[in-house]
Amino acid sequence: MWKIWLLFDPRRAVIALFVFLFTLAILIHFILLSSERYNWIDGAAGGGMAAITTESVNL
Amino acid sequence: MSDSMSGLSEGEAKEFHKIFVSSFLGFTAIAVVAHVLVWFWRPWLG
Repeated sequence: MWKIWLLFDPRRAVIALFVFLFTLAILIHFILLSSERYNWIDGAAGGGMAAITTESVNL
Repeated sequence: MSDSMSGLSEGEAKEFHKIFVSSFLGFTAIAVVAHVLVWFWRPWLG
């Protein structure tokens, strides 16, 4: 497995990896923010546990 | 000077690989913790 570094220059590989991971992270975070359930900034009130318990109480 | 395509010698490649793998394991551990926390907050399957 280490032989990969005989093919690819570690500096360029690490830079490419960081750029790729950063872009993916930004994409995923914004996708979540654009959803209603996973928007942790203006999120729907309550949330995972709180929402479930209140629902069961109101029945 | 080595004659590999990347210019690294065998020893340098092995040394870099060791660090690369442990960094990867650290990154994965943090990611797993984050996903577990989000799962407890709001599960996403079903």
